[in-house]
Amino acid sequence: MEIVELSTDVLIIGGGLAGTNAAMAAAEKGAKVIITDKGNIDRSGDIGGGVDHFMAYLNEGQKWDTEEAFLGYVDKVGRGTGHLSIIESVYCAELPDAIDRMARIGNPLTQTDGSFYRTRSMGQPGTYWINFNGKRLKPRLGKAVRELGCTVLDKVMMVDLLTHEGAVVGGIGFHIRSGDFYVIQSKATVIATGNTNRLYENPRINPFNTWLCPFDTGDGQIMALNAGAALTNMEYMRMTLLPKGFAAPGFNALVGMGGRFVNGLGEYYMEKHHAMGNRAPRYDVVFHTLEEIRRGHGPIYIDCRHLNDEDLTHLKSSLGYDKDTLPDYFEQRGEDLRSRPVEITVSEGMQAGPTEVTGSGIKIDRHSASTIPGLFASGDACDHNRCVHGAVAGGYKAGKSAAVFASGMKHADSAPRSMTREQIDRFRAPLYLSSGYPYRQIEDAIRKIMAEHVGPMRTAHTLKTGMEKLEGIERHLDDMKADDLHELMRTYETRSILSVGKVMATTALFRTESRNKPYHHRLDFPDTDNTHWCGLVVVQKKGDKFSCSFEAVS
Amino acid sequence: MPPIFDDNACSGCGLCDSICPADAIYLRSDDDREIPYLKYPDECWHCGSCRQDCPEGAISIQFPPDMLNI
Repeated sequence: MEIVELSTDVLIIGGGLAGTNAAMAAAEKGAKVIITDKGNIDRSGDIGGGVDHFMAYLNEGQKWDTEEAFLGYVDKVGRGTGHLSIIESVYCAELPDAIDRMARIGNPLTQTDGSFYRTRSMGQPGTYWINFNGKRLKPRLGKAVRELGCTVLDKVMMVDLLTHEGAVVGGIGFHIRSGDFYVIQSKATVIATGNTNRLYENPRINPFNTWLCPFDTGDGQIMALNAGAALTNMEYMRMTLLPKGFAAPGFNALVGMGGRFVNGLGEYYMEKHHAMGNRAPRYDVVFHTLEEIRRGHGPIYIDCRHLNDEDLTHLKSSLGYDKDTLPDYFEQRGEDLRSRPVEITVSEGMQAGPTEVTGSGIKIDRHSASTIPGLFASGDACDHNRCVHGAVAGGYKAGKSAAVFASGMKHADSAPRSMTREQIDRFRAPLYLSSGYPYRQIEDAIRKIMAEHVGPMRTAHTLKTGMEKLEGIERHLDDMKADDLHELMRTYETRSILSVGKVMATTALFRTESRNKPYHHRLDFPDTDNTHWCGLVVVQKKGDKFSCSFEAVS
Repeated sequence: MPPIFDDNACSGCGLCDSICPADAIYLRSDDDREIPYLKYPDECWHCGSCRQDCPEGAISIQFPPDMLNI
């Protein structure tokens, strides 16, 4: 193992969609950039294997197709979970360039004839989803980042931020194959590490069989929290509907093309329960599906048999854009959209944004800056970006802002740090234990506690019980043993997952109402209280304790 | 368990090992060359990146019985 000391203008932690866009922005502004990723930026993150949707208004003439109408939609489905002024700055103002940039790197959002293929679902007033072929989007972004001269550190997991007089001045991490330890000094740092997706028991048995990337484990949010930054919207437990045995996305495509949810009794229940039917906001679809299952009306299916040949052909040809292996799965399971409904079910829970247009995680302002100097955030790791459109537009905004911040700093402003061998060995401690528990044993317990006490049916009593049990398992974190560097990475992920669980239990207890049910459903406060709770729960760390406050959204 | 490697078609280039987001694919020595194997099968996300990028078309996907039958 070697100790590698580096210095840069902008450090980007996480090389998914948001991080690669941030790297492009910072480099195009002339900054020296280092980008790190636990995987390889050519195929890492939520859309590593591909993606098929991007949300946008295009000003093509319809009254719903404007910025004003889009922000009205955000206000309606967001219901107090985001500031429109921030979304205007980190998404709307960036959207035209984001669409151009996708074409510039060789992955346009258009079809081969130059047109946009647009569909509608999730409470949208018009066809805001652009359906496109993004199977090679990440390799193209990776190539663009490397060609801009950014230093790419693949397979490097960052484990902590460096701070100096309250500002973030870099980060430390290790290479998951060589074990080399990186100490990176930076003038500005962007966190782009995604959601927390391995947090709850998985209905498909394997905790890695998740809707979104199972290697997104809240690492960035927890590093930021420990450095003093505020987080928001952490109480929301996001869920969706997915094929029964395979957590492959496809909801947008299936519902956008006109798929209908049907229960085991043959009833098209969403068309009965919601004015928007199958195209209702995602949280409403999940809520009513859980209710159907609870009433004994399962299993649940999605029915596409009524679609015309042209739509079915488009759907079948494009399903693999979002999840490359979904067509293989349907074939091997014997599913055929044309001949019978496909069984689906409610996904595992995750800590993620409460809607497709409002996020959760590191609290950002109009410039994508966190609440502490030198730290910026983007993509699903922050509270005002969400989904593909949020990561592409918001990632670029964060990269630009970080470069501007860095250009105003001298190296002397951020104290050079060197670490002793003893300090570094503390980060490698699980490798040296002769006996201990595998990370999976600790993580399975966390997921069980979260599902049973911090899940979609919460009360003050269950949340307090959950917190006590999480604190109980926390006492064993130092007993985790790693047999190799791969397992050392997983032990750090387990630590992040546990911290996110504690933050979620704390903020869910603080918000004494229900909002966007079932994402935050307090059985002891079942109503939405817009008089007192239309806004964000802000959480910070004060010593070893969490401190919550409320910030209204007007 | 996906992915399945066709050792005869594999050129041993190591691209699948390099890009796997799970860090689940490693190379092992096989006579005078290196070939990939799935070291952490439980951690595969079935993202299909390895199959898409394999220059030899040497990777196929077979879902396990639990995923196909629950």
